[in-house]
Amino acid sequence: MSATTATPMPVPAVETEAAPPRRPGTLARLVREPVAAVSLVLAVVLIGAALLAPVLSPTDPYDNDLASAMALPGSPGLPLGADAQGRDMVTRTLYGLRLTLAMGLASVLLGGGLGALIGFTAAFYRRLDALLMRLMDVMLSFPAILFGLALAAIFGPGIPAVVLALSVATVPLMARIVRGSALAIMALDYIEAARATGMSDARIILRHVAPNCLSPIFVFATLRFGQVILLGSALSFLGLGAQPPTAELGAMAADGRNFLFFAPHIAIIPSVGIFLVVLVFNLLGDALRDALDPKLRV
Amino acid sequence: MKEGPLLEAVSVAKHYPVKKGIIVSRQVGAVRAVDGVSFTLHRGETLALVGESGCGKSTTARVVMRLIEPTGGDIIFKGQNVTNVAGAKLRALRRHLQIVFQDPYASLNPRLTVADTIAEPMAVHGIGDAASRKARVQELLRLTGLRAFHADRYPHEFSGGQRQRIGIARALAVEPEVMVLDEPVSALDVSIQAQVVNLLGDLQQRLGLSYLFIAHDLAVVKHVADRVAVMYLGRIVEVAGKRELFSNPRHPYTRALLAAIPRPDPSRRGAVTPLGGDLPSPLNIPPGCRFHTRCPVAQAVCREQDPPLREIAPGHTAACHFAEDLPRFDAEADGGIAPVAQRRLAAYAAARERRALAAVPAP
Repeated sequence: MSATTATPMPVPAVETEAAPPRRPGTLARLVREPVAAVSLVLAVVLIGAALLAPVLSPTDPYDNDLASAMALPGSPGLPLGADAQGRDMVTRTLYGLRLTLAMGLASVLLGGGLGALIGFTAAFYRRLDALLMRLMDVMLSFPAILFGLALAAIFGPGIPAVVLALSVATVPLMARIVRGSALAIMALDYIEAARATGMSDARIILRHVAPNCLSPIFVFATLRFGQVILLGSALSFLGLGAQPPTAELGAMAADGRNFLFFAPHIAIIPSVGIFLVVLVFNLLGDALRDALDPKLRV
Repeated sequence: MKEGPLLEAVSVAKHYPVKKGIIVSRQVGAVRAVDGVSFTLHRGETLALVGESGCGKSTTARVVMRLIEPTGGDIIFKGQNVTNVAGAKLRALRRHLQIVFQDPYASLNPRLTVADTIAEPMAVHGIGDAASRKARVQELLRLTGLRAFHADRYPHEFSGGQRQRIGIARALAVEPEVMVLDEPVSALDVSIQAQVVNLLGDLQQRLGLSYLFIAHDLAVVKHVADRVAVMYLGRIVEVAGKRELFSNPRHPYTRALLAAIPRPDPSRRGAVTPLGGDLPSPLNIPPGCRFHTRCPVAQAVCREQDPPLREIAPGHTAACHFAEDLPRFDAEADGGIAPVAQRRLAAYAAARERRALAAVPAP
């Protein structure tokens, strides 16, 4: 009856069953914060640009035109200029973004997923805890770069080796974070209530433990996404990742370092791309965490 | 007591091993959290389990519910030994035994709405379909004094008392026969305590529930319990009907507990000698009677012989060598419950009756 009034009703002291207006959903709360809204828009733009690279780009990323080599941004037909081989920087950046995002996402999903699984297992089945965590410690002692070197030696340099190395480097970090927060959640009474109900272990983990560990997982996954992209770029820079003609932001930045004095845009444009990706996903992860937390719903 | 007990614990024990050494670990002792506890719970009855912090009340309740595996003893539910049941049988047992927790802020999953929280136990046990569960949630909300629109809200939007009602509704969802109430009101304000205590009383009458009520507030125990079991250091030292226990306690520890109830009466100052010393460590339980280190009437025999729990009057058992020889208990008016606390509970009962008369009865 009075559910249309603008102000929410106070906790009912009067005998009425009219519910106060409903709270906004997750997405509505996400875009309410200006920083969150901007980062969401930018993330959509970045992902959209990456997905639509073949449609958006004027040329093929491997078409070279030596006549326009190192053309500066603003040259006719080349809004962002061309690289040392005369390839269009707009096209190369779009394709590079596509590959870089895919690499970062694959590593975080693979490594993070496996790490979370190990973390939940260690927290829930305490018998396995010590064994699994010592195993994680061993993995943690290998630097990602070293692991990348080893994998490149075995499988040959390339993107699969980079993704594998970055995933393996992500597993123990995620496992530790998930184990810690799962242990804290599992000490709470509602887990005991779930047990008292006769729920299966899988159901308790999926419905009661995991959703309450989402905040740290989200924050870590987004932070790690940025780190992984930087690490992947470093591996490409070392010649272990994306191989020369391939358009990948890290490899492109490495490529441009030889021409910093004559044509700085060749290094700067992919670097700005990396910077934007890392920044946008960090901000977005932060905003998402706040929006997903029912305790912060007003 | 026409039928046998609904739930029975027979010398239930829970010992936690204490280990030393990192690589080659060996057991150096055991924390005897629960050390041979026996009690019976009949249908429709409230058995209160009282004792100071760390005496094993909550552990006992969780062992009986099969949430913690006992080290020894038997748990008998409806005449069947359920100490070792597992799998589908254990799941079936879980339906009959539910628990309400002390801390209403930790006992509800913050990411589930009230409706999801209450409906989940039904879904787990395959009771009804989605629509009938939804209807049942509404019914449970009404039964526990909440409102229909509360179903779509999250726990953080509620007060402690309301959360406790949600916890009670969740426990009731699978129609249990026994409810373990683990200090269900100790975390609530006094005014809310009375509401929840009365709600529990109403539910018991209406649904014929049996309660294992764990508490340390003796005023509340006096209000809700039929029988009271007093625990000390992992063992029950005295069991009696509520009236009997409060007016004629036969164990020195029970007397000390009753004497420790605060009373707003300055003329009594100095009349009560508090129990000296600390609760001994359950890692190193004293030989003989485990209470002898703090007992005001301990004799030589108490240091050597552990007194068994024995019947000293029909329905009244105590574990003291001198249970019969203790002097008459200086029972204050109404068995030592502060008159203020009595008035507080009585006033609420009166208010509830007025409201029940005013309200239109639900169909």
